[in-house]
Amino acid sequence: MSHQQSNYYTSRRQQNWSRNQNTTRFVSAVKLGPVAHTVIVALMITILGLIYLTQATRATGYDYESQKIDSQIADLNEQKSDLQIENARLTALETVKNSSVAREMTPTTNTQYVNQ
Amino acid sequence: MKLELLHGSRSRILAAVIFTVMAVFVVRLFYLQVIQHDHYLALAQEEQLSQFKLPASRGMIYAKSGDDPVQLVMNETVYTVFIDPVIVDDKDKMTEVLKKVAGGNLRTGFEKSFDRTDSRYQIIATKVTRVQADKIKAEGLHGIGFQEVSQRVYPEGQLGAQILGFVNAEGKGNYGIESALDEELKGNDGLLKTVVDVSNVPLTIGNNNVRIPKQDGKNIVLSVDRNVQSYAEQALAAGLQRTGATHGSVLIMDPQTGKVMAMANLPTYNPSEYYKVEDAAAFNNDTISAPYEPGSDVKTFTMAAGIDKGVVKASDTFNNTDYIEVDDRTITNATKGHTGNITFQTALTWSLNTGFVTVAQRLGNGKDITKSARETMYTYFHDKFRLGQLTGVELAGEAAGTIIAPDQVEGNAVRYSNMSFGQGLDATMIQVVGGFNTLINGGNYYKPTMLDGVVNDNGDYIQNPTPQPLEANVISKSTSDQMREMMQTARSSSFGHLDKPGYLIGGKTGTSQVIVNGKYSDTATVGTYLGYGGSETPEYVIMVQVSGKDKQLQGARDALPIFTDISNWMLDYLKIQPKG
Repeated sequence: MSHQQSNYYTSRRQQNWSRNQNTTRFVSAVKLGPVAHTVIVALMITILGLIYLTQATRATGYDYESQKIDSQIADLNEQKSDLQIENARLTALETVKNSSVAREMTPTTNTQYVNQ
Repeated sequence: MKLELLHGSRSRILAAVIFTVMAVFVVRLFYLQVIQHDHYLALAQEEQLSQFKLPASRGMIYAKSGDDPVQLVMNETVYTVFIDPVIVDDKDKMTEVLKKVAGGNLRTGFEKSFDRTDSRYQIIATKVTRVQADKIKAEGLHGIGFQEVSQRVYPEGQLGAQILGFVNAEGKGNYGIESALDEELKGNDGLLKTVVDVSNVPLTIGNNNVRIPKQDGKNIVLSVDRNVQSYAEQALAAGLQRTGATHGSVLIMDPQTGKVMAMANLPTYNPSEYYKVEDAAAFNNDTISAPYEPGSDVKTFTMAAGIDKGVVKASDTFNNTDYIEVDDRTITNATKGHTGNITFQTALTWSLNTGFVTVAQRLGNGKDITKSARETMYTYFHDKFRLGQLTGVELAGEAAGTIIAPDQVEGNAVRYSNMSFGQGLDATMIQVVGGFNTLINGGNYYKPTMLDGVVNDNGDYIQNPTPQPLEANVISKSTSDQMREMMQTARSSSFGHLDKPGYLIGGKTGTSQVIVNGKYSDTATVGTYLGYGGSETPEYVIMVQVSGKDKQLQGARDALPIFTDISNWMLDYLKIQPKG
């Protein structure tokens, strides 16, 4: 394929450029045929598809990350719940009544109040 | 060079073939992708989309401990352990590990499950805790699986069992608060519909994902104080042991708000082992679901009606002969000897039936319990004090009881004479206490309630607004003041020495006959005591009831000591200062 450069004259009526500017412009002589166009479009679609796939895969990667975090949260919540139950059992009335501290206590006798 | 496909040339034939094949492809693709679009889309979604239930946590139930909420009912995740006998490769090791880690949770004869190779799912242990499950998982056994199950746990054991009720295996609340507030407690499950990978991990790709967040159930705070509840159960148990009664109930309420502070029933059960209960009667909360003839406690209602209508005062007198005739019936006093002109205060103190039949007569023409007198009594008993109708307390299984209206054939003078001293009507303890509050709090009726607030998702306790009277000035303040004084006099004249000095304590005994096969039994009575306590104003009302098959139990002898025990403790617990 040979390359040619050509100068084309454009009349002032046809061009809307400002005065004192070049009145010639570059026009490539390379002509793309229908096959080239098709290939380029196919390439563009492929690249766009790859970009989409990359992004979608990245989003899916986040899903795994999110799933892992969700799982950790669930585990921690379960542990928290277990600890709350243990705390409630340890502070339950029966536990407190049977504690060594409670066994050392004596019943109240006369209660006296002071008026403020 | 200009290429041309010549007619009949191989190139032209090849082009025609390719064109035809491509046309077939296009048509087929058009059919599959356009015409059959919905069908294949559905198939693809069925393959790729998974639906997950996001289970809502059931709300917890709290009681009060002073001013702070404490957990009575919580949720715990436990595991059901199952095996696939086909995959299990080392049953000896598995048996050893399971016995060591979860020996108490294994099903009887679980070893036989290993031989059931016709089944892929054999449950071998239940209610295994998370810690136990983690230990078993760490052993890397093949053919074992864990299924999460949420269950209710009760840190306070069987405290307030009939108030709470239980949640059955299907997750449905039964009895008590669990049943009455099932909708609020259970919340709403969420939904996640999404594309998943081969490991069933939800992915965010796709346009058809649905995520409906779960709504956990409400955490409810009861007005019940766990310390009061515990003491009431303890005092009741001691009372039953002392008296030989087999059944008993205690109801404690704040008369200024209608909030229930304690509600104890014996026999009781352990809600975490509800399935072991043999007699389902243990699930019933008798304070709300067992209407009975309240007996002499009702004399306070009759007296209040008489005072409020202006036909009697405590100091007014009547001629007591220990019996009184109403139509063809003769009504006698259980306690005899206080004859002659005596005051209505004396009638209340000695619980003389004749005095209250006289009040009923004075609500009419002074001699008979006329229709007008019966209508007045019905208005007070049923409409004002709300006996014989549901209180609407937030518990399942409340019974209404019965008050026969005067326009019914059975609502005659004889019935109303009996009603004046507590027979011929059925009411529950909560109705009696609800009405009694009105007699002593200045005349306002408060709806009995179990609820005090909620604990929100942040763990903050949000208290309900202070309850307002359902009906104000049901009786006048003056009537209420007089009733309070009469009951204080009645108590102090015989039992005042049992109370701590300097406090306002009043009450009324009740001994009710029991109806067996439509007749009053000669061998069984129910003993009750209904009273209040406080300093300047009443701060609690306590009603005690004891009963037993073929047991003759009395209000003064059997129920009153339980009241006294609890009342003296309440004065200290509530830090009520004595008057000057």
